[in-house]
Amino acid sequence: MIRLNDLKISYRIANRTIDAVDGVSLTIPDGCIVGIAGESGSGKSTLMKAIYGDIQAPMHISRGSIDYDFQGADGRPVTTQTIRRQWFKSISYIPQSSMNSLNPVIRIGRQFTDFPGTDSNKKRVLEQARTYLGKLGLPPEVMESYPHQLSGGMRQRVMIGLATFFQPDLIIADEPTTALDVVVQKEILMLLMELQEEMGNTILVVSHDMGVHYQVTHKMLIMYAGRVVEYGDTESVFGDPQHPYTKMLIDSLPTIGDDSMRGVIASAAGAGGDRAFRAEPVLVEVKPNHFVARAPQPDNVLA
Amino acid sequence: MGVLRYVAKRLGLYLAVLFIGLTITFMLPRLMPTNPVDGYIGQLQSRANGTLTSEAIAEMRTNLEQLYGLNGNIFSQYASYMKRVLIDFDFGPSFTYYPQPVSAMILNALPWTLGLLLTATFIAWVLGNMVGLVAGYFHKQRAASILEFLGILLYPIPYYILAVTVLLLLAYVFPIFPLSPTFPVGQLTPEKIGMILYNSLLPGITLVLAGFGWNILSMKALAVATTEEPYVVYARLKGASNWTRMMSYVFRNALLPQVTALALSLGMVFNGALLTEMIFSYPGIGLIMRTAATGGDYNVLYGAITLSIIAVATAGLVIDLIYPLLDPRIRHK
Repeated sequence: MIRLNDLKISYRIANRTIDAVDGVSLTIPDGCIVGIAGESGSGKSTLMKAIYGDIQAPMHISRGSIDYDFQGADGRPVTTQTIRRQWFKSISYIPQSSMNSLNPVIRIGRQFTDFPGTDSNKKRVLEQARTYLGKLGLPPEVMESYPHQLSGGMRQRVMIGLATFFQPDLIIADEPTTALDVVVQKEILMLLMELQEEMGNTILVVSHDMGVHYQVTHKMLIMYAGRVVEYGDTESVFGDPQHPYTKMLIDSLPTIGDDSMRGVIASAAGAGGDRAFRAEPVLVEVKPNHFVARAPQPDNVLA
Repeated sequence: MGVLRYVAKRLGLYLAVLFIGLTITFMLPRLMPTNPVDGYIGQLQSRANGTLTSEAIAEMRTNLEQLYGLNGNIFSQYASYMKRVLIDFDFGPSFTYYPQPVSAMILNALPWTLGLLLTATFIAWVLGNMVGLVAGYFHKQRAASILEFLGILLYPIPYYILAVTVLLLLAYVFPIFPLSPTFPVGQLTPEKIGMILYNSLLPGITLVLAGFGWNILSMKALAVATTEEPYVVYARLKGASNWTRMMSYVFRNALLPQVTALALSLGMVFNGALLTEMIFSYPGIGLIMRTAATGGDYNVLYGAITLSIIAVATAGLVIDLIYPLLDPRIRHK
């Protein structure tokens, strides 16, 4: 379980402070896949970086906190300050650019052992990694290959292998399938779902693709202008979207034969650019496990 | 199979480059309107106050043409030139130090030049790359800019000013090293080796200082660009240590262009030799070339030019052969 308490993350650039994430409070339960959607600049990546604990100047947490309910090797609960020591032990990361996230001049096998990890016996790690990659549908020669000898799909499988090999509690996947073609994309997503079912861990998936979210996720988190506008079970969010921005995102999924969106430009549809929608800081539970950002209006909360 | 084909292809290219280079050095002087034999005979004639008979002159001409490989038409001259250069490594006798053969002069001087310049170039490369790597990898920290400053300071100083300053400082103001070196001759003993090293230290230091700055700046720029690569960022998020990221991620990738630069500068050592050896009166190829240039000693110049063609081409061959070991992406292609 991960709890975000009124989290505000800012970037200090020259004399200006930009709040990329502005007051987010929510709880992510264990053992589910959470999809995060929202346009570029809505704060998705910043939020993921903060949860992963990769907080580097000029980015900083200016208010609030993140609670993780797992313990480090020393038995003490992990905090934002100590989470770095859990990287690729109990929390891992699948990067966006699988095409060039592997060192081009080093064999894949060595890239499984060049970080501390959970086991200091490199030989054992290599053997286990070879078996594990076999389970992910990769031939054993991959361990002796260089990245350029693998296809894009194979490389992304290697990245997923690297991220799940140590059985982490939490995996953050930052647009894991953007660079892949549709067929490979589906294979990779199925693989990710299978692994999650097997290990029962939590995966946060950032994606622009609402189709991907519908297929893969258990819960949806919609972000807009640094705030959460809607958060709830995927079925419920897709079946009965509450916030106008969520509705627009879901409507943007093209349906064969439906020409109503042809030629419509997004800014014209939203009218008003950056802050076309109001995103209130307070989430209201409209249904069980389905929250929407709304100004607190005591008389018509459930209207 | 792939490896053999690769090596064979590179060797073929190497021989082609040598062939073209040697052909150009053969052709260029022959495009000049003057004939060296005529010039030489004219000199002798005037020195003898025109007392030479025409038979003597004709005999002398045949002998000289024979000696310098100038008999026959241009094609047979070319064939015999190639045979002499490539198979016998024979450039004829020196004009100035007649009858000493040019090849012997060059072979005597070669170990001196190669010993000094190859070592100095290599040390400058290793040191410069290490400093540049640290400066580039930690470029966000202020302390690293001191290292870069070292490169900015050293790089623009012209070599002759640097060399003369170092010479004045370390041999005259503080007489740590000899102002003009003495090198022992004959059989090498440990004692003599020590003396040679001591006497070579001063030119060595100036060469290292001169090459150092460029290597720092170049490696720093490459390392800065490489630290932004997605694979370096990912390695950081994997929790890989600074050392691992700096060495096997940033350095191994930024190294590739630097190896090319090293091989090219090793091929250019004879350029560097000229100034260094003049300033420090160091008995290498550079000194011989200078004497030959001022004395009009064509054969020696020929020999030295041919040697530098061979050196540059060999350096190219060496890069081609070691590059696949460093970059798996160009293996077996």
